[in-house]
Formats: sequence, C-alpha cells, structure tokens
Amino acid sequence: MIVERRLLPHLDWSLIAAVLLLTLIGLLTIYSVTWNIQAGQPGAEFWRQAAFIPVGFFVLAICVAVDYRALTQRSPAIFAVLLLALVAVLLFGTVVKGSRRWIDLGIAPLQPSEFARLALALVLAMLYGDGRRSARSLGELVFGAGLLALPAFLIYRQPDLGTAVTLVPVFAGIAYMAGLRLRWLVGALLMTALLSPVIWTYGLKDYQQGRVLTFLDPYKDPQGDGYQQIQARVTVGSGGLVGKGFRQGTQGAYRFLPEAHNDFVLAVLAEEQGFAGVIIVLGLYLFVIWRSLEAARLAKDRVGAFLVVGLVSWFTFQVVYNISMQAGLAPVKGLTLPLMSYGGSSLVATLAGFGLILNVRMRRFTN
Amino acid sequence: MLTPGAYEDRQSLHLRLLVMQSVVVGLFFVLASAFWVLQVVQYAELSDRSERNHLRTIPLRAPRGVLFDRNGEVLVQNRRSFRIAIVREQTPDVAGTIQQLSRVTGVSIAEIAGVVERRRTDPIFRPIPVIEHATDEQVAAVIAQKLELPGVMVEQVPMRAYPDGGLAAHVFGYVGEVQPGQLQRAEFSGLQPGAIVGQSGLEQTYNSSLMGTDGNRFVVIDSRGREIEELERENPVDGRRVQLTIDIDMQRALEEAFAADGFDGAAAFLDPATGEVLALTSLPAYDPNNFAAGISSATWSALNADPLRPLGNRLIRGLYSPGSTFKIVMAIAALEEGVITPETEISCRGSAVFYGRSFKCWKAGGHGRMTLRHALEQSCNVFFYTLGERMSVDVINKWAGRLGLVGMTGIDLPQEKASFIPSTEWALTARSDGRWYPGETVSVAIGQGAVSVTPIGLATMMATVANGGTLRSPRLVKAIDHGQGWEVVPLPAPRSHVVIDPEHLAAVRDGLWMAVNTPQGTGTTRGRIIGKDVSGKTGTSQVISNDGKAAAQASERAAGRDPRIYEDHGWFVFFAPRDNPEVAGVVFTEHSEHGYLSAPIAKYVLETYFAKKEGRPLPKYKSAVVPAASAVPAGGARAGGGGGGGGQ
Repeated sequence: MIVERRLLPHLDWSLIAAVLLLTLIGLLTIYSVTWNIQAGQPGAEFWRQAAFIPVGFFVLAICVAVDYRALTQRSPAIFAVLLLALVAVLLFGTVVKGSRRWIDLGIAPLQPSEFARLALALVLAMLYGDGRRSARSLGELVFGAGLLALPAFLIYRQPDLGTAVTLVPVFAGIAYMAGLRLRWLVGALLMTALLSPVIWTYGLKDYQQGRVLTFLDPYKDPQGDGYQQIQARVTVGSGGLVGKGFRQGTQGAYRFLPEAHNDFVLAVLAEEQGFAGVIIVLGLYLFVIWRSLEAARLAKDRVGAFLVVGLVSWFTFQVVYNISMQAGLAPVKGLTLPLMSYGGSSLVATLAGFGLILNVRMRRFTN
Repeated sequence: MLTPGAYEDRQSLHLRLLVMQSVVVGLFFVLASAFWVLQVVQYAELSDRSERNHLRTIPLRAPRGVLFDRNGEVLVQNRRSFRIAIVREQTPDVAGTIQQLSRVTGVSIAEIAGVVERRRTDPIFRPIPVIEHATDEQVAAVIAQKLELPGVMVEQVPMRAYPDGGLAAHVFGYVGEVQPGQLQRAEFSGLQPGAIVGQSGLEQTYNSSLMGTDGNRFVVIDSRGREIEELERENPVDGRRVQLTIDIDMQRALEEAFAADGFDGAAAFLDPATGEVLALTSLPAYDPNNFAAGISSATWSALNADPLRPLGNRLIRGLYSPGSTFKIVMAIAALEEGVITPETEISCRGSAVFYGRSFKCWKAGGHGRMTLRHALEQSCNVFFYTLGERMSVDVINKWAGRLGLVGMTGIDLPQEKASFIPSTEWALTARSDGRWYPGETVSVAIGQGAVSVTPIGLATMMATVANGGTLRSPRLVKAIDHGQGWEVVPLPAPRSHVVIDPEHLAAVRDGLWMAVNTPQGTGTTRGRIIGKDVSGKTGTSQVISNDGKAAAQASERAAGRDPRIYEDHGWFVFFAPRDNPEVAGVVFTEHSEHGYLSAPIAKYVLETYFAKKEGRPLPKYKSAVVPAASAVPAGGARAGGGGGGGGQ
C-alpha cells in the first residue's frame, strides 16, 4: 500500500492545504464558541474535534494510497457491506435525540450513514463509467436510482431525512455526467413539483412541515420554531464587516444560538470574524470545489471522473445548503457544514472522500 | 490509445464540468450577497438585537438615608428585602409565566397581571417587580422552579424599616413608587418608573436628601438568563443621614399615653427657643412599613375609606375652633394694646349683654370681680367677652398673627393647612355683604365663631408666648450628613419678633400657671408636676352646637353608631417651666369632652422630658380616663347656648 514515489508530485497539495485550512478554521471556531469562562478552557467538543482531524487525514492518506480502480472494482462488495451496516444500525444502533444513527464499535461510535455516499459514489461510478454504459437509457437510469434508493431508504428510516437527501446529489451528479438527458431532468423536476402536495401531506412529518413554514415566516413563532432562524440572522448580522473578534462573540457563546458549534458554526465565524472572515471561508470552499472538479476534468478515465463528480456533487450540495441556511436563505435542517462543523464521523468520511478525489487526480497518468 | 468516440465523449464531459463549475460560482455569489445584506446592510439593527440579547442593566436601589433622633438613636433604617420581577423579553409566554408564578407564590394572578399591565409601556427588557418584599418561602419556590419560570428573577433591594406599630408615622410619612404624574416634575427628573420616593411626611419633604442615587449593574447573561459576568457597576450612593429633633423617649411616651387613654388626636412638643419639635403625633396613624413593602390595594383602600382618616395628619391639616386656648392671644393683645393692665378688674355675673345680646359664662353664678390672672386661671368667659368688646377684630387678628395663629406655621412637613383668624379685610372680600359684625368679635374672644386653627398653630403660639415673642417655624430636622459628617441645619430667621412687656408676660404666665397648679384652675391640677411649674390652658372645641348635640347623638345611637363623634374635642396648651420655659406645645384629644383630659398626656410627656434631662428613670403612665360607658353627660350641667358658651 505504499504510494509509489513517482506519483507524489502529482498530488494536489494546494487542495490538501485548502481542506486542512478549513478544518483548522472550523476547529478554532469550535474552540471559541465552546469556551468556558468559569473553567478558563475550551469545551470537550474542541478536544474531540482536534483528535479527529489527524484521524481524518490518516484515513485520507489511505484513500489516496489505494488505487481508486481497485476500489471501484470492489464497489459492489463495499456497497453490500454498507447496506449491512445500515441494517445493523436499524437493529442495534444507539438512539440519540430520537434517531438511531450510531453503532458502537467499542473504541468510538461510528455513524455508517456518513460513509454511505462514498460507497454510493464508488458503485455508481463503476456502473456508469466502466464499459460503454450510460445513463441515456431509462433502464440504466432506473437501475442507478435503485442503488440510490436502497441506502437512502435505510437512512430515512433511522430516521435521518437530511443525510438520506444528501445521497441524491451523488446520483444526480454522476447521472448528469453520464449523459442524463435534459428531458429526464426536467421531467423529474416537473414530477416533483406536481407531487409536492402529496409529499407535503404524506411524506413530511409535522415537525418537518413546521420547519418549512417557519422558514417562510420565522416570526410566526419567534420563541419556538422560528427562534433558531431569527437568532442565526442576529448572530451573522451582528458580526458586521470585521466581526466582534475571536472569543468575543456572544450569540453562540451564551447559547442564544443553538447548535452553534455544529450546524451553525459558520454563523459563529460570521459573528466573530465578520463579513471579511465569511468571504475567506466562502473563497476556500469555492476553491476546494473548483479544484476538485478540475480533478474530474483531468481524470484518465470515466470511472475516475464520475467518482470525483459524485463526491463533489454531494460536498457542494451540503456546503451550499448549510451556508444558505445560515444566511437565512433555506429552512433550518440538521445538515452540518462539511469540514468545519463539529462531528467526528462526518469529518473522517469527508476527508476520505477528498482522499478519493486526490487519488483520481494523482493517478491521471498511470495505466 | 483513445477508443473510438472517446474524444467526443471527453468534449461533452468537459462541457458538463464547465456547466457545474459555473453553477457553483453563481451559487457562491448569491451566498456572499446574502451575507453582505445581513452583515453590512442590516448590521445596525441586528447588532442592536444581539446587544439586547445578552446585556442587562440591573438597577441597584440606593438605600435611603437613615433617620436618627436628637440623641443619635436610630429611628428609620433599611433592611434587605427580596423582590420578584419578570423580564418580558425572556418570557416566551407572559400569561403562562404569570399563571405559574401565581401558583408557586400564592399571589393572585390578577395582582401580578395588574402590575405587568401597568408597566406595559416600559421597555420589554426592563424587569417589572411584581412581588415586592417576597417571603423566604416565595423566593425559595421561585428559585426551585427557575426552569419553568423563564424571565423571572429574584432581586435583593433595600427596604425602608420603620419602628414597629406605626410610631411617629406622621413624622416620617411613607415612601412609594414615583407616580407617572410626578415624573414630569423637576425634583424627580432623571428617575426611572418604579423608583422609590417619599410620598408623605419627612420622607417627602427631605426626599432629595434621603433618596440617594440608584446605581446600575451591567451584566452579561446567557440565553437562560443566568448571569455570566459583570461588565461594569455603578454603585448606588446612599441617601443622606438625617438627624431629627425628635426625642424618641418623649415620642414613645406621647403615643403610649394616647393609646392608654384611648383617644385619637394630635400633639406637638416644641423647644420654644428654637422651634425644634421634640415629639409630634397624629392619631390614628398607619404603619409606614406597609408602604415600604409595596402597599397592597386592599390595605390602601381600607386606609382611604376609614372614616377616621388615618392618612391625614391632624396636627397640621386638622382645623378646629381653639376654644378657650384663644384667651391667651386675647390676654396678650389686650395688655400690649393698653386695653387693660394686669390689675384691671372686670366683673362676671354669669352672663353679660353685648350689642343687645346675652353671652353666658360657663359658671352659672359668675366669677365676680377678677383680674387677668384669675380670669385665665378660671377661664372666665365674661372677662374675655369684655376684651372682645373693647378691641377690634383686626387687632386680635394682628396679635394672633404675631403669635403664630394666622396662616401656616411653616413646619417642614408637606401639605400643612393655614390657621384662620377673621378680619374686616377678610369679611370685605369673603362675605356677600362685606361686613364684620362687632358681636362676632365677642365670640372670637373665647375662640368661637369664625375661628379655625391647626393644633400645630396653637403649639407655635404657646412656644412664642413661652419665649417672649419670637415666632419661629417648628422644624423636625436638626442636622444632615452630606458626606462630611453632621452639618447642623442653621436656625432660620424668626417669622416675627415682638418684645412683649415683661410685666404683661408675667401676668399671662402667672394666670396659666395658676390654671394648672391651683385647685380653682381649670386644669384642676391634672397637668401639674411638682417643682416644674407647668403652665397651660385647657379648651374645648365644639363639634356641634350644644342645642343640636342631644338630638344628633340620639339619632346616631338609634343608627347603632357611636354617639361620641358629637362630643367636644379637648385642648391643652402649655409650656414648662413657667420661667425660662424649655418645652411648649399642644395636646388635642378628639371627642374627649373636656380639655382637662388632654392635660395628663402632656404631663406624662413633660415628666419624661424632665426625668431624661435629670437622669432619673423614665416614668410610667397611669390612665385616669374612665371608660366612657355613658358618653352623654347631663346636658344642663354645661354652659352654652346663645352666642357660644363653651370653654373651660
């Protein structure tokens, strides 16, 4: 598993640097927002996150080292293992806040759903990229959608609609690259629009409906559902151009904004570092996405390109959704900001994904 | 190397990647714009809201100044009290929280909601104190249920603590929240709604000294309202310490004697040389502690509805006819105006005719021939009718004014009423025919008719007679500590100063001494203190004319009410010792029938004064009043009728 030395110059060091920078900015923001005045030290979340960063980069290194083609070729097996893990979670998982998402491995709890997109991206890249298949025919498309539906349904049953939804961009991105006809795309969008009243009534639970309604008018219930959204606005807005300063934020530190170290970590950064800090972070994310798509462009084969696009599609979707939510442009949904938000499994799975992206780019000249 | 079609394939792949990259750039541009709107365009509004979220200004109430008696004994101080307040901004459901708070503390929902309603225009981040002076149980219950009571806080505030049982209530007055109307006034500028100010008595007169300056704490709180840290503290500045002229032992003696005899009324004991008030009361009174704790609406209504009007200070606001006590003014006026000399004799045959009308003396057989000294001793009406015939009402008015019986005395208590002695000038404007009838002057001579004075007016008159003619405003404050130790309040210039001829003064003082110390005296020795030469004069103030009294009392009794409300009030004015008087004053007992029933109260307070001065043990009071089983005396036994015959 030792990486051949001649491959190292082809490693995208600037992408690694940008990814590392974002994880460190996230870590510092967690440090600031969990700071305990009485104890004079940051909260336990900081130390946990700090411990997961090296773990994540170690996993990233492994994912770079193994030739991605070896992984795509074994993707049916990997996908099967994932499905088994998801079933195991439903059967034996730990219940946290009403959801069964975790499985205790003894050393650390693991959240298999975070790794679902990796397995899905591998198997879909294999499906559409290997040989001369494409997503042009309806049959191929339905088969791919079926592969999406299996893990998505299992995760939805946990229940964790948010994570289940993040699998959709993986499929959509790869299908689009594989030649998905526009008429299918338009048709799917039209179908969704037509079915939305049905989905609204039968597909969404009360609290999910509430979130959407609250988004449309947060002041309908300013102390209840609308609270988080209002406080997120206040948190971001009060940062101004240059922010209140490191550890000078009040909205997150004094718990006016719930989930400040988690889903709303960017709001805290916006409060403390202002618009200037936000622009730097947005710039880094844009650079990471752009640079990753370049890896797809450079990929030596369709499998590599599709794998990258599947992973980037997910990453982009979740980053854009989370930031939209913090900017008040989307309903509050429990989706973290990849790389920056608190969460071990999510960080490791994300870094593993970037390992695969780097992998594809690094091996663009190999046979 | 390339498979067929691979080139086209790669072209389309690149195109699609370019589309994706463009879409991402577009999305990020939208996101950046959204942050620009929030952080730059809406910065001012959202920054303000963030401040309001976590910054609280918690007022620190300044303790009011401590009041001391003339010997340095603490009279009024402050104690720690808890109050429970609601911060509406932190209360998602105000009505629900009020309900919960009511359940926890046992205070009715209506009462709490009423306070919140009254303060609804306050900024929503300002705490509204809904339960003042909370009990330990209430505080413990609120703290225990803190999580179910968001936005409810417990504050510690200094609260006024007065002596138990309303002692000297009308001296101190009471405090209360500044009223919305008062906030407009200059003296209360800069105060917040809810500030505590003096609303009566000395608390009101000296409010600016006693109040101090409230402070503030600026604190950071978290979303659950818990205090994280204190950013800044403006310490409250305590109110000024104030030393009163009151002697607490005399004050206690005074109220003890009133209580033992069962009388309502008023009294003042003055130092004639300075006008300092040694003891002062008006009864019934109230307990100022009830006001300090935030008076309940029930208590307030009860105090206001009470027919005995305990909130009114009778001493300075009650207007009564002075009765025979006015004979002292007549005596000095007649002597100084040269109408009589101390040796002039006038004959009393039980009645006399003036201006074609018969005026009676209280003693049916008459007093015979007597000089001024004996006329004062025995309170002979005919003697003073005669003086009234020989002097104009304007001369009487002039001398009454010089002695302090016209207008307000200027005592440092709020809302004093003016004493009134008529004059022709007054008649000219106040009466439809503009005339003053000389026959009326004859009534005025014995303190009847269109004469009404306050008890403090009579006390001031006696102090002026006692000091030989210097009229001073009574005052209750001896010294104020403005921060550099006690500063004695300088003696104000006298309101009027006349030198009464020593011979004349001696005659009056002798007469007053005899009234108290001889068996013939109307004081019937009840005010006498052996060796202290108490000098004084009794008087009665009619509530209703003697003719109407029996009928009125009968109807009152038929209605099941106390007929005593039609009984005369009793006066005793005095100074002691006769030569170089140290104390002068008035005791006014409501519905006591006889002036001489006021004398034992005065005597007891004076005994206390002398005992304290000479270092002897303080005396004990023995009430001589027989419980009034039969309130109506045999009507015929009393003089009266005609042009007014009261006055012993």
